[in-house]
Amino acid sequence: MNGASVLDIDRPAIRRRTLARSLRGTLKGGEYTWAVAFVVPYIAVFLAFVVYPVVYGLWMGSEASLYRELFADPIYQSTVVNTVLYLALGVNVKMFLALLLSGFFMRPGRWMKALLLIFVLPWAVPQISTFISIHWMLNGEWGFLNNVLYGLFHIEGPYWLNDRWSALGAVIVAHIWKWTPFWTLILLAGRMAIPLEIRDTAKVDGATGLSGFVHITFPLLANLYLICTLLSTIFLLGDFNAVTFVSGGGPANQGHVLATIGIRNAFDLAQPRLGVAAVMSALPMVIPLVIVLMRKLRTAEVQL
Amino acid sequence: MTYLTRRSVLRGSLALAAARPFAAPHVAKAAATTASAWFAQGFVQDEDVALRKAVADYEKASGNKIELSIIPFAPHRQKVISAITSGVVPDLTQSNPNEILQLYAWQDKWVDVSDVVETQKAQFSETALQAAQAYNSVTKTRGVYGVPLRAAVVPCHIWRPLVEKAGFKIEDIPKTWDAYFDFFKKVQDNLRKQGERKVYGLGFQVTANGVDPYNLFMAFLLAYGGQNIVTKDGKLHLDDPKVKEAAIKATAYLGGAYRDGYVPPSAINWNDADDNNAFHAKLMVMDVDGTLSTEVAVKEKHPDWYFKEMVTHGIGYPTDNAGKPVPAIVGVTQMMIPKGAKNVAVAKEFLKYFVQPKVVGEFIELGLGRWLPVMPSLAKSPFWQDPKDPHLRGYVQMGLLGPTVPDYYVFNLAMAEVRNQHVFSMAMIDVAKEGVKPEAAVDKAFKRIEEIFSKYKKA
Repeated sequence: MNGASVLDIDRPAIRRRTLARSLRGTLKGGEYTWAVAFVVPYIAVFLAFVVYPVVYGLWMGSEASLYRELFADPIYQSTVVNTVLYLALGVNVKMFLALLLSGFFMRPGRWMKALLLIFVLPWAVPQISTFISIHWMLNGEWGFLNNVLYGLFHIEGPYWLNDRWSALGAVIVAHIWKWTPFWTLILLAGRMAIPLEIRDTAKVDGATGLSGFVHITFPLLANLYLICTLLSTIFLLGDFNAVTFVSGGGPANQGHVLATIGIRNAFDLAQPRLGVAAVMSALPMVIPLVIVLMRKLRTAEVQL
Repeated sequence: MTYLTRRSVLRGSLALAAARPFAAPHVAKAAATTASAWFAQGFVQDEDVALRKAVADYEKASGNKIELSIIPFAPHRQKVISAITSGVVPDLTQSNPNEILQLYAWQDKWVDVSDVVETQKAQFSETALQAAQAYNSVTKTRGVYGVPLRAAVVPCHIWRPLVEKAGFKIEDIPKTWDAYFDFFKKVQDNLRKQGERKVYGLGFQVTANGVDPYNLFMAFLLAYGGQNIVTKDGKLHLDDPKVKEAAIKATAYLGGAYRDGYVPPSAINWNDADDNNAFHAKLMVMDVDGTLSTEVAVKEKHPDWYFKEMVTHGIGYPTDNAGKPVPAIVGVTQMMIPKGAKNVAVAKEFLKYFVQPKVVGEFIELGLGRWLPVMPSLAKSPFWQDPKDPHLRGYVQMGLLGPTVPDYYVFNLAMAEVRNQHVFSMAMIDVAKEGVKPEAAVDKAFKRIEEIFSKYKKA
């Protein structure tokens, strides 16, 4: 027995009409055509520059054998450890410093504005030239740092970039130096958005200094701080410049992070798919971060 | 019924003229006389000037157009790899580094250029002809996919004033391998006694960056008798006791020199340009580095350095410890045509023009002789035999007229990956920095080499 009722016969057509109606919304006649005409370029750009590269990347890194080869590479494990350390220290130390410095730059006075201008210089200057300068500064034989140590104290300085941990440390410090001003400015803007009434009321209630920071400022900044931390983590995961130009991924390929090992595999080994696989191996870390970030951005609408 | 009028004829003619670009092969005709060519930028400007001249001469002679792109060294390689991966390729590209010929021949990505090579076959050196060939794992045959253009070997570069300051003369340098390099340790010791705090005897690239460390290691491997690590049939011979002994000796000498303080400590992080810069800064007495880039880079600015102070040992390149000549490993720069190139005919025609002895000879000489020719007849030119030039005769003797072998990736592509993964570098560094015994470091390296070779098994 056919169980379909007479009402079901036209259901697909009804669905199509409902979909068309919902797409049209309140638009009528020519308005709908114009709306489509305006939207199509954006969709085309989105498909060409967002969907295609992502799908192509996923396709390039889709073979399981690539990951077997990647994990068999003797330097991959040290690369993962470096990446985790780079993220953990680079992001958190930088954000904590930015939080403190944003409080410092809230102080009134003209000289504070001048100081802020000088403070943002590392962020404003081109990063590749500054990272190369740091690399030269740390050169063991003729670098500025060791020459100063020898000139002032007759101390033969260490070969900063010859040891895996000091080289990684140099990269992390260079990153913090470069990007702390940027995040300080963001958090400074956040602090400035806290209404004066709240701060004044807190002062009346005795919440000044550290107490004011712990009970008033930080709770209001917490969401912004978390979002900045997540964003910074995502940015840093793809950072290629600091490692390449400060330590070169050395010594002996022990200082790479996933972004630089991806480039090495793609172009030094001429295996682009293996390079993509190296970067793809960070996805288990990136996807949860993006999900948390999206959720936080939604809640951030009503919080500072 | 309609009638033809003067106006309708004019209208029709205009419409036809307007539609012509869409219907007639105007673009195709233009494309048929144009080829795009990608070259890596030279180390000195003269190289690029020489290339532009050769291209302009061809355009004038043929009426064809070459869209020339001169790209910095590292981005050129990235661009070629990206192009071949994506399928949007130029009509012609230079090998950079050279093993890219063998690498993509394996994947059947190059056009066969045996007809181009055939035009000058009698002129090319045997080593250059070998290096132009590669195994194609798709067709399962060896073919000619490269047109040899120029070559390079790895000479020794020495600062005469530093040797003399240490109380020696250049003529005092011994001729056999170990004694030759040990000499520079003595030079360092003497310089240190005179208060030279930061001068090192040996510029060994004990690093895991670039192509220099592989070239250095291979020079030592051959000097210690490891020539048969890969034979012409592409077979790996790590089980050959001579090869293993040579690898252990090379690792021990190179790593040991670093460990004992005769190599600048920063060498462990050098890239291919850093040793040139360190040598120019007189951080070390001698450097073992490919091409004459070290010398030609300063020829114009510091002619005294070029003509008096820098010594390159080409003719004086050390023999092995038994006194036999050590063959120089030659890296041959090739020109290739990627499959999918739109203008193969023009690309081939340009190559046939470019590799004529007169044209390619002038191109190399205008580039100050940083690169070697690949045709022995060109070595006899007044440029290469100039008695006033302290470098060129020795260089061309070492890399073209003396005993040479092509780099080993020519015989088996896996050696390119051994080079790019810096397997020998890791062995040197293990000895230099981690205190690992050379035997253990070589065992580890050999294990990795076997893993890499297993990926490139021929059908």
